[in-house]
Amino acid sequence: MASPAAPMTPRGRLLTALARGVPDRLPVTTHHVMPSFLERDLGGADADAFFARFGLDPIRWVAAYRPDATKGQYFAEPDPAAPPRVAAPDCRIRIETSRQAAARTVRLRYETPQKTLTMRIEEDAHTGWITERLVREKTDVDVLAEHLPVLLCDVEAVNRQADTFGERGLVRGMVPGFDPYGQPGCWQDAAQLFGIEALILATFEDPAWVHHFLRVLCERKKATLRSMRGARFDLVELGGGDASTTVISPALFETFVQPYDTELIALAREVGQRIVYHTCGGMMPILEAIADMGPAAMETFTPPAMGGDADLAAAKRRIGHRVCLIGGFDQVHHFRGCTPATTRAAVRRCFAAAGGGGGFILAPSDHFFEADLELLEAFADEARRCVYA
Amino acid sequence: MNDILQRIATAVERGKTDRDAPYPPDLRGEEGAAELTARALQQGIPPERVLADALVQGMQAVGDRFERGQAFLPDLLIAARAMTAAMAHLRPAFESGAVQHRGTFVVGTVAGDLHDIGKRIVAMVMEGNGWKVVDLGINVPAARFLEAIPGQDRCVVGLSALLTTTMPAMENTVRTIKAQHPEVPVFVGGAPVTAEFGARIGADGYFPNPQGLVRHLGRRGV
Repeated sequence: MASPAAPMTPRGRLLTALARGVPDRLPVTTHHVMPSFLERDLGGADADAFFARFGLDPIRWVAAYRPDATKGQYFAEPDPAAPPRVAAPDCRIRIETSRQAAARTVRLRYETPQKTLTMRIEEDAHTGWITERLVREKTDVDVLAEHLPVLLCDVEAVNRQADTFGERGLVRGMVPGFDPYGQPGCWQDAAQLFGIEALILATFEDPAWVHHFLRVLCERKKATLRSMRGARFDLVELGGGDASTTVISPALFETFVQPYDTELIALAREVGQRIVYHTCGGMMPILEAIADMGPAAMETFTPPAMGGDADLAAAKRRIGHRVCLIGGFDQVHHFRGCTPATTRAAVRRCFAAAGGGGGFILAPSDHFFEADLELLEAFADEARRCVYA
Repeated sequence: MNDILQRIATAVERGKTDRDAPYPPDLRGEEGAAELTARALQQGIPPERVLADALVQGMQAVGDRFERGQAFLPDLLIAARAMTAAMAHLRPAFESGAVQHRGTFVVGTVAGDLHDIGKRIVAMVMEGNGWKVVDLGINVPAARFLEAIPGQDRCVVGLSALLTTTMPAMENTVRTIKAQHPEVPVFVGGAPVTAEFGARIGADGYFPNPQGLVRHLGRRGV
């Protein structure tokens, strides 16, 4: 594809790269923009203002779900700090929150006719994490499957956001199987619900149960995906870092991750959604296996200095003709504590490694929580100078 | 190597915990690390020899493959679990003083960080290499390390962090320990941590995998 003469809109630029085409210049964006960063460093600006301030190609994350009225579902009592949770006649949800110092604790009780499942989440200014897993006994998976509501997409709400956002950038979503703390990929969701160490050991001790668990999550995600037909997401996230090879082996990936997420990607294509497969961590031993699943794009290409293993140039050679590459930038070492020239040089290295022929979107490899503003400016400015002659 | 010691090493390397363990499938129904260790002790093989010539060898083998990219974290995890099952039979010998620990390894994930798996594997590998392990768990404030260190013989500290946001807590923990116990070596690890970062915060070393730490301590003669 020839490089177009006129500047593209941010959305056009990003979509061109997602289609493995050559945009007017290197698209440059971020993954999530963390609220704590916006609050501390940008005076509470919102994500739109952040993208505008630095001249990055914007992304808007949209999560909009609706109760299934035909099943008597309804929104549970609101948690002011979280999206509304969907309850059902056979699954009442009770939410308790408490705060100690900077941390907030959310206790959830899912009351079903079979059993009450509980889960505890803690959050600080930066992020949240699970301190009590929902699935603690193997039979809890059957309670989850039988009673806990599947999230359905609120297509109209998504499309209102897409209309508002227009050509300003990409609308991103994900495929949760569960609320709260739903994760995109089946394995990733299972790891959060049961604990990654317990899940890995279960693959050795009771692989049939792990497959049952993953099948339950996969079918729930399929229902969510089917409800996304007509929703104008530009990119929908699947996967998760617990499926990376810094956590599991390629053999476990091929046995417990690939079969389920492949089904989801095929269904996503059927309902008109474009998938990015997210693997924050080791990717190089499973690059082709991920590409074989059929996503439009892969992220995060975390470099070795950040605990990943990405060799961007090698990845581009191996799978660049099959998927768009997103990420690759070392935000830990080049968003803080270095000179703008160093940051600019890091941008150029990424462009040289993966930018050739298009199909590459530069982004930090996953979230960043802290950044020197002048380095963010250098990152964005240098990327904008990376043009396709 | 004695046949039973070789079999223990193989059981550890392949993650065969005990007879009931279904993994690995080709060893189903056979004795695992636990039964073999018990039998080796019954045969009169000294506990320190079981440790050095069987358990350490098994973990070393899987650790070497991990370093070469031929084994992955689940392989380490299941091998370490098999080794822990075997260690249960050696522990009385350590507790009675018949066998000396190489020292005490105080380990924890730093404050604000709840990641457990990497730290647990390091702890298990260190125990399998003859160290007494004091695992303080996750989300450990610096003060708890200070409480844990006094009275420990040949104490070495290991700190883990998996989040960039908790790296400052790692720095604070290193500096707090060093201020009160400058003689205690402090080692750091975790996905976002680097050797450069470790040096900057005053740690005595950074290791990307447990075998690196074991080797380093071996070179120091510990």
